[in-house]
Amino acid sequence: MTRIWPWLCAASVALSLFMLGLLLALLLTRGLGHFWPSTLEVATLDSGELIAGEAVRETALPQRDGKERLYFTANRDIDGARWRWVAIDSIASRQTPTKLLRLQRGPWGDFIGYLSAYEDGQQRLEGEAAWQALATALAAPANTRPPATLVLETADGQLIRQALADIHRAQRPNAMHPGEKLRYWAHGVWQFLSEGPRAANTGGGVWPAIFGTVLMVIVMSVIVMPFGVLAAIYLNEIAHQGRLTRLVRIGVRNLAGVPSIVYGVFGLGVFVYGIGSSVDQWFFEDTLPSPTFGTGGLLWASLTLALLTLPVVIVATEEGLARIPDSQREGAVALGATRLETLTRIVLPMAMPAMLTAVILAVARAAGEVAPLMLVGVAKLAPQMPLDGDFPYLHLERKFMHLGYHLFDTAFHGDDVQAAIPLVYATALLLVTIVLVLNLTAIFLRHYLRRQRGQPC
Amino acid sequence: MTCVLSTTFCDLSLHHAITMTQPPRLSSSAPRTLAEPRYQRPHRQRLDRLATSVITAGAFAVLAAILAIGIFLLWESLPLLAMDDMALINSLSPLAWGTLKAALAAMLFALPLALGAAVYTAMYMPARQRTRIKPLLEMMEAIPGVVIGFIAGLILAPWVERHLTVTLVLLVWLPASALVAGMLWHALHKRWRQRLPFSSAALWLIPWFALMVLLALWAAPLAEQYLLGEDLRRFLDLQLGIDYATRNAMIVGAAMGFAVIPSVYALAEDALSDVPPALLEGAQALGADRWQALWKVALPAAGPGIFSAVMIGAGRAVGETMIVLMASGNTALLSASPFEGMRSMAAAIAIEMPEAAPGSSNYHMLIFAALLLFGFTFVVNTLAETVRLRLRTRLKRMGGGA
Amino acid sequence: MLASNQGHNNMPHQDQSCLSIDAFSLAYAGKQALHELTLEIPRHRVTAFIGPSGCGKSTLLRAINRLHDLNDETSHQGRIMVEGIDIHSPDIDVSELRRRIGMVFQTPNPFPMSIYENVAFGLRLQGRTAKRKRDDIIEWALTSAALWDEVKDRLHQSAWQLSGGQQQRLVIARTLAVQPEILLLDEPASALDPVSTLKIEELICNLKSQLTLVLVTHNMQQAARVSDFTAFLSQGELIEYGPTDQLFTNPRLRHTENYITGRIN
Repeated sequence: MTRIWPWLCAASVALSLFMLGLLLALLLTRGLGHFWPSTLEVATLDSGELIAGEAVRETALPQRDGKERLYFTANRDIDGARWRWVAIDSIASRQTPTKLLRLQRGPWGDFIGYLSAYEDGQQRLEGEAAWQALATALAAPANTRPPATLVLETADGQLIRQALADIHRAQRPNAMHPGEKLRYWAHGVWQFLSEGPRAANTGGGVWPAIFGTVLMVIVMSVIVMPFGVLAAIYLNEIAHQGRLTRLVRIGVRNLAGVPSIVYGVFGLGVFVYGIGSSVDQWFFEDTLPSPTFGTGGLLWASLTLALLTLPVVIVATEEGLARIPDSQREGAVALGATRLETLTRIVLPMAMPAMLTAVILAVARAAGEVAPLMLVGVAKLAPQMPLDGDFPYLHLERKFMHLGYHLFDTAFHGDDVQAAIPLVYATALLLVTIVLVLNLTAIFLRHYLRRQRGQPC
Repeated sequence: MTCVLSTTFCDLSLHHAITMTQPPRLSSSAPRTLAEPRYQRPHRQRLDRLATSVITAGAFAVLAAILAIGIFLLWESLPLLAMDDMALINSLSPLAWGTLKAALAAMLFALPLALGAAVYTAMYMPARQRTRIKPLLEMMEAIPGVVIGFIAGLILAPWVERHLTVTLVLLVWLPASALVAGMLWHALHKRWRQRLPFSSAALWLIPWFALMVLLALWAAPLAEQYLLGEDLRRFLDLQLGIDYATRNAMIVGAAMGFAVIPSVYALAEDALSDVPPALLEGAQALGADRWQALWKVALPAAGPGIFSAVMIGAGRAVGETMIVLMASGNTALLSASPFEGMRSMAAAIAIEMPEAAPGSSNYHMLIFAALLLFGFTFVVNTLAETVRLRLRTRLKRMGGGA
Repeated sequence: MLASNQGHNNMPHQDQSCLSIDAFSLAYAGKQALHELTLEIPRHRVTAFIGPSGCGKSTLLRAINRLHDLNDETSHQGRIMVEGIDIHSPDIDVSELRRRIGMVFQTPNPFPMSIYENVAFGLRLQGRTAKRKRDDIIEWALTSAALWDEVKDRLHQSAWQLSGGQQQRLVIARTLAVQPEILLLDEPASALDPVSTLKIEELICNLKSQLTLVLVTHNMQQAARVSDFTAFLSQGELIEYGPTDQLFTNPRLRHTENYITGRIN
């Protein structure tokens, strides 16, 4: 026995690390791979039918021998579906024509096929000239593009007309060399980070969600930091270190273990239905019954998350305060410093890294938290940003978009989940990156803090 | 007789020492003495008192907010007393069952892994490696639930459905393969054993596991064909009458277990490494090997700490929302099958609460569910925390005494 | 002004006294730490408190600075008078009291700032001072603490880079900068090497021309070398108090003799 158990224990560590690595690798490859212009192919079936699209994956056929391949064929406006399963046996030949084109369009999602002509009122261009004209037109900013129309041809020869205005990007991946692909990829990543969602969240970027998350987290930090730090100072520097303080400390620590959804219920019941409705009755009577503050919004979400992250801030700050040796406080006091002077000149500067750690941990927690936000103010698509040029600039009552909720919503409530999954991967990767970077910073700070404390005397 | 140096040191030193000069004046006025008025700078004291009261007020605001949560939940649950008991039980029991089932599945998955990992890092890993691996594992805790839920619900669940045999085989084969690796290691030449020491087994087992997964992916379908002659899922469905839902308790268990591992691991590891090394060395000096020392000495000493780690893990598993929401299928069933879904209280709150009209019976019911979650986690965590603190002082005393 | 000139008389006279402790008792968390101590500490002399560890000598020293205020589980009876004023009287300004009664601790505790800022810390608490004047005071304080020559070229480096002995002298300089009248030293050399200890002792002797010094030490040679008067405490009680020469060469009580000859510890 004594030889078996240690191996199982070692296996647990290895398995945990293995799973973690697998998860991160999955997110990394799928999240970043989504933007890579992958090769498009045209498959000729035995029946003579032509299918143009991106080969996604292969699986065994359910009942028979052999395999089938999934193609992403796009063109939802033409054949009503974006995906097509094809048995591999039935494919006669596969080509990768360099002229095969992929367009990212507004309402209908991607198009895969050929560009047959480019018409801009005065002239009609065909062949390579049409592609050149399209590329130049798309290089210009969206509002200066000419009112042109494209004539597109699908692989099986159907012709459609497509307004240039709805097109965001065009690529001919089979004609690209790796350098071009890399540039296209980088541009895609940038668009993902800087643009709003399109096509019912299955395309475009996540900029409003990033912005909403950041804004919410900032408002939350502004609320939680003063209270958290004050409470930590009280517990560590002022309170009588008796049974009551110990009890309060355990209580605060336990709050960190209370499920986040409970905070959401509290936020909804007290902030939204309680305070929000009253505020509406007093100040926004003219717009009732449509609520202003009486519904979820940025302020209530920030307040709820502030409450949620309060224990994190208190515990981390208190840890920093407790690490400051008493001799430092006594030294200051013996020189005639009052408690406030000791605090502001010695204790707080020394606890600075700890407070920084606290705010980073709180932000990391808040950025990843979704459940309470579903109750107090997040929106799947917010029509207006909560920060804009209209007075009073910061609109605390507005709903906002949040990365985590955006992820949940796109993955579970979209009309075509399959098509959205690559984008969900990218969003998940972004979220994980943000949270992990924040946590790493906190760990580094804490490490630095401990080393610094170890040095004196 | 005792004091050789009865001539004072000062007499000798005065000749070569720097004599203290008159200090420069601090202010133009004459130096103050204590006999003068004592309120030289009264606003300093006033400011100090003001700051103290501001800090105290802030602390009490925090305390009030904490209390407000409990009071609000209690107050809003009161109307339920007027309601029909049966209706309440009927609507709550599937949720309670779902919560328990999900938590149980998660703990079944997480506990062996977390505790095993804690034992290994605390007992066998060299200190240097430990300082790297531990933060890495604790980092798992930072991965947002919504991401884990997405992977579990949309990626893992369909994959498992397609590769059910592989999954079930892996559940047994992976731990067994670690033992195989152990046997192979003992059979290795000494030089090789030194190159792959047991103390870094956690690292070199990772590629081994990758290999084993590939092996299972290749071998399991063959075995399935050979033994059953058909797909396991169809076999379960047709021969045994077991329904298989894509998103089921097994998936939730794995996903939530993954989320729970780091918190259980971190606390258990802390408890184990707080055990004074002298205790272990004492046992080893008596001829026990490392595992016996752990089993007979460290585990009993760290027992309460491990217990509190398990409690805190259970608290997390009960309250986790997004993972259950995304990976469970959200069917309010009273079924014990690991292949069927469930709906937990937290998930129910997240879905139904925004639609429930304030004041309606459903609204109060959901708030009552929140109260249950709040009460349960609060009790569990308080218990865990008191046990942990008590253990810590006890171990310190043991370490000091030893 | 030499100590030996004063050595012939016995106890410090009432009007020479700068600090008088009058039936002072202190309890900590319900446990009596000091029992009705009464002693007069003379102005511009070095008074040493000796005694076995846990005898209350440090507690008494901290009480003079009212540091036990920081712990709210203590209670006291009796009086400590500084220049005729009760330091526990309600209208006293504790910060001002602590400025006038400097204190140096067992382990050096420089603040995590530059050498210059460490010395300027107390001055800044007193309000604005012109930079020139502040520089003068800092130079004077560092010179008085026999540290100026060692640090004058690196005043703006971190104080934590100094050696232990230098750190302790920096702490003394920091205390001197606010010009206290009494300097309390709580085993100031116990964490230092012999050379640094010698420097600190030398410094103590030089400072008494300006200040009243009270020194707690567990090192009897040190008490004999630097102090003019010595008080022997045991279990919170004052056993014997007198001129150092007399206490060490001819103790009145058996208990004292046992302690200074090392028969008890």
